[in-house]
Amino acid sequence: MENEIKRLEEEFQKDFQEASFPKELEALKIKYLGRKSTFTQLFSQIPTLPPKERGAWGKRLNAFKQKITSSLGSAKTQVESKEESIDLTPPSIFPEFGSRHILSIVGEKICSIFEKLGFVTIEGKEIEEEWYNFEALNIPLEHPSREAFDTFYLDLPEKNKGKYLLRSHTSPSQIRVMQGAKPPLAVISPGRVYRPDEVDATHSFMFHQIEGFVVDEDINFAHLKGVLLHFAREFFSDKVELRLRPHFFPFTEPSAEVDISCFICKTGGKKLSEGQKCSVCKGKGWLEILGCGMIHPKVLRACGIDSKKYKGFAFGMGVERIAMLKYGIDDIRLFYENDARFLEQFSL
Amino acid sequence: MRFSLNFIQEFLKVDVQPQELASLLTMAGMEVESLEKQTSDWIFDIEVTTNRYDWLSILGISREIAAILGKKLKINYPALITKPSLTSRDIIIEEKGDCPYYIGRRIEGVKVSVSKPWLQKRILNCGLTLVNDIVDSTNYSMLKWGNPLHAFDADKLEGNIYIRRARKNELLVGIDGKERILGKENLVIADSKKVIALAGIIGGKNTEVTEITKNIFLEAAVFSPLTVRRSRRAAGLDTESSYRFERMVSSHLLEYASCEAAKLITEISGGRNKGYKVAGKKPQLLKNNITISIDSLGAYLGIAPLKPRVKKILENLGFKVKGLSKDRIMVSPPESRFDIKGEVDVYEEFSRIYGYDKIPAQIPFLKRSLITPDQAGCYHFKGELANLVALLGFKEIITYSLEGKEQLKIEEGENVIELINPLRSQENSLRSNLLFGMVKSFRHNLNRARGGLRLFEIADVYSKTSKGFKETPILALAISGKAEDFFFLKGAVEKIVNFLNISNCEFKESSLNNFTNALKINIGSCNVGFLGKLDQRQNKSLDLNEDLFFAQLDLSTCVKNRGQKKYQPFSSYPVIWRDISISLKKTIKFKKIEEVIKAKGNYLAGLAIVDVYKGKDIPLEYKAFTLRVFYQSTKKTLTSSEVDSFHRQIRQSLSQQEGLSLR
Repeated sequence: MENEIKRLEEEFQKDFQEASFPKELEALKIKYLGRKSTFTQLFSQIPTLPPKERGAWGKRLNAFKQKITSSLGSAKTQVESKEESIDLTPPSIFPEFGSRHILSIVGEKICSIFEKLGFVTIEGKEIEEEWYNFEALNIPLEHPSREAFDTFYLDLPEKNKGKYLLRSHTSPSQIRVMQGAKPPLAVISPGRVYRPDEVDATHSFMFHQIEGFVVDEDINFAHLKGVLLHFAREFFSDKVELRLRPHFFPFTEPSAEVDISCFICKTGGKKLSEGQKCSVCKGKGWLEILGCGMIHPKVLRACGIDSKKYKGFAFGMGVERIAMLKYGIDDIRLFYENDARFLEQFSL
Repeated sequence: MRFSLNFIQEFLKVDVQPQELASLLTMAGMEVESLEKQTSDWIFDIEVTTNRYDWLSILGISREIAAILGKKLKINYPALITKPSLTSRDIIIEEKGDCPYYIGRRIEGVKVSVSKPWLQKRILNCGLTLVNDIVDSTNYSMLKWGNPLHAFDADKLEGNIYIRRARKNELLVGIDGKERILGKENLVIADSKKVIALAGIIGGKNTEVTEITKNIFLEAAVFSPLTVRRSRRAAGLDTESSYRFERMVSSHLLEYASCEAAKLITEISGGRNKGYKVAGKKPQLLKNNITISIDSLGAYLGIAPLKPRVKKILENLGFKVKGLSKDRIMVSPPESRFDIKGEVDVYEEFSRIYGYDKIPAQIPFLKRSLITPDQAGCYHFKGELANLVALLGFKEIITYSLEGKEQLKIEEGENVIELINPLRSQENSLRSNLLFGMVKSFRHNLNRARGGLRLFEIADVYSKTSKGFKETPILALAISGKAEDFFFLKGAVEKIVNFLNISNCEFKESSLNNFTNALKINIGSCNVGFLGKLDQRQNKSLDLNEDLFFAQLDLSTCVKNRGQKKYQPFSSYPVIWRDISISLKKTIKFKKIEEVIKAKGNYLAGLAIVDVYKGKDIPLEYKAFTLRVFYQSTKKTLTSSEVDSFHRQIRQSLSQQEGLSLR
């Protein structure tokens, strides 16, 4: 019998060396300790042995069982703690992400820069009356200055403030606020505007503008410059310089067009030398970003504000233009086509 | 406007480099759009803003350059020739408002040919085309002094000259060869028999100067800007002449302009001055004296300018300046500047020459504006909402507010607002819902193999109402994909309602145009929107190859019903669930089951469909699914036997329902 047990122990050692998977270990347990195993047969023979020997053989067999069980047990723990490794190189899986439209992101960013200075954001309506879009802003009827503001008219019955139209700029919001509230005022007003322009890479019959204005007793042109410089540095880069060029707008006097030094070629506003190229500023060194000026006293008076006591400045910018400059977008139509590959590039 | 540097030199010696001059001009408000070298000349192309009609002449531009460079102009006015008087015909102005002043001049015995090279260069370098030496001479004079002139072939004129409104359906063939039907809005020059020019716009073919022309009738006049504008718009053209008249042409140099052209014509083409006649009255220049306070000027700009500096700058610009006191001066603008009317106009003139770059940049302390909420609108609310919808996995889109008037309607009787002057029929009205913009965006992406998208837009919609019209902000969200995706959309809408903390919100089944079936979203008795599946017929005709689920919410109503967010306590005891397998007749809505369970529902904490069977053993008119019922108490841990007992009651109630069997 002892020989038989020894043989079993040797055989188990051999099998055990080769086993490496949980299933194989399970199979060994059945083979050596299962119902049909030699061990079970030997154990069942114990009652047939002389009573004196029974105890010793019982111990011997139990020791054998103990040894196998513990070997298998520790092996199993080892095997189980060792996970199979996986291939990490297949393509990633992307969730369907939500996103904000780049024009919304840019618009909100611009408004928030001004809000931190104390401006209040106010939205106007897109359907406007002629007086608010033109006369109140010192743009007389049938004047060539109106040509820059070609406008869609609507088939709504005319009221006391003239024909209904789709606002061609956000400036009417300025008028409505000034009529309804007393200075001091610091307001920023974003929204959609409309002009009958054929659609191409740089034109659209619908686009977005942001209008800002301040009216108070001691407001001056230097304040306008300061506020715009702060905006340009917050929005584009803290290294940009500002350049104001005299211009003409009927509703401001003095008026200016505002350029920032190109934040791509970073010449600080200098022209690039021959041979150097910049696709954003075309080598000019400056990028036009907005129009502005001191609010014309006629505009203040049209809104019932005492132009002797109060002064103000105003500015307006195209959100598409700002976004195109900042992100290098070369076709305005991309904003309204809503291709997922475009939308996905800008998240919250 | 294009001008050449050599032409400027007729008035002013310019001794700075052209590039430097261009940048000086740009920084003083005369934006140089391009600068190019042309053999021995430089061509500047400038943007002329509508207030600066005086920049539409070489004289005006020279005056500006002189002011910027701090130099004086050297003006050689041509000698005035007013003899002999013209006796052969009369000039009759019918309406002084249209044409206050008209000078006619007769030149006899010209020989028309090609212009001399120097004249050709002047004309071409200023962007005009060559005609012949007569017409080129009138154009030269216009460029130089700013007054458009016109030369007629005097032998083709019959009788007197009339400046009058056209009669209805009078015809004129212009020198451009085009025939135009005229009307009351057109001011014309006519002789006793026929119309010979559209006043201030274009001459007639019938009296055009040609190579056989011998005698000239030269017109110099001022016409009302508004009259010219209306006339040229009605006639549908825009010329060098009308461009100037529309922006205002000064009369104070009219004689010189006329004489300059006459002088050139007689010198170049031969011929003699044989008659001069004036009609109307030269408009008196209004004395415009403006009193300026140096302190106010400084306060307006944020600088402290010195009086001599202000005086010098204004004088260089041609202003007459008179000191009144230590702080005050009286200025009168040059006669060519009708645009200078008040103090702020003078401030601008000073500041643009002083240099905007020399004004410091300062941040003002802004006092808080007192704005009422209804003035403020809902910009921030829309931003918050958009962020939430984006978190739900939707991408924000922006689509055009203009659509064809046969737009996709959702409710009967949507009354669209039309454009009076649309560009195209596809964009001739304002949209009354956001469906079509959404459809177009999905179609664009589906055509590029991009399905399963979730998109949203926040924008205004517009419609006519009995009171006039309304413009309302709307949220639209949509998903393309399979039937189950509807429930994601419904979930998104519920999340939004939750976010807005609207308490009494309900979905109600209803039917809508273009939707297979739809749920209306109501707050109390007020409808605020809907969600539904676009019907197959529309889906097909709109060329969509996935199902489209669309929802829309009226934000103006939502924002009014928005509740204050408050923490909602939740149970800390475990949730226990039990499943029920149900076969339900398709004609019976799930809502029925929900009602039955809720009626019985002790400790009910939620319901979910966890599995749907589609096996052969399910009859066609039934749907089969596993419903998971969740139980939870807020006060204790429920025991298994308690839950079993509640669940048994629910099963029993359900089993009594018709068209429903438990499996």
